[in-house]
Amino acid sequence: MGDVMQEIAREVAEHPVVIYMKGTPRFPMCGFSAATVEVLQEIGVPFKAVDVLAEAEKREAIKAFTHWPTIPQVFVGGKFIGGCDIVREMHARGELAPLVHAAVAAR
Amino acid sequence: MVDMSEVRARIEAAIPGAAVRVTDSTGGGDHFDVEVIAEAFAGKALVDQHRMVYTALADLMPRIHALALRTRTP
Repeated sequence: MGDVMQEIAREVAEHPVVIYMKGTPRFPMCGFSAATVEVLQEIGVPFKAVDVLAEAEKREAIKAFTHWPTIPQVFVGGKFIGGCDIVREMHARGELAPLVHAAVAAR
Repeated sequence: MVDMSEVRARIEAAIPGAAVRVTDSTGGGDHFDVEVIAEAFAGKALVDQHRMVYTALADLMPRIHALALRTRTP
């Protein structure tokens, strides 16, 4: 578990926007993951997607990493911002895009 | 299978004064739609508000497949 946690820490530090999801952006395997990816695609910046079904050891590790019980999970600028409901609500309020663009610009 | 009243009771116990609305979105006792309105959320980021609810439901979460959550202040 320790190695996986380190890999997650590295992933979220290396990429301005990361989503841990079920399936891939092209073929999401869960409605919550699909809806979250849709928001990120609407914002229109590249993001790193990690499929926890393909990388099974990350499925539990990511929950332990954030102390958050559900997937998907989104990180912006290395910071955990939440799951599907939060991403959608922040986007609806117009708060997500500026955060994402700032994180991308900071690289 | 989890009962809607169980979900509501856990949240009300953990967040005093919270107004909680729970819908069993499929009728199967494992997909819930939850709205929580509480003074205790004031000044907290959404991620922290949701975390308070998840913490209240911690022992139920393994039996819940999907939880759509909305939180706000009164």
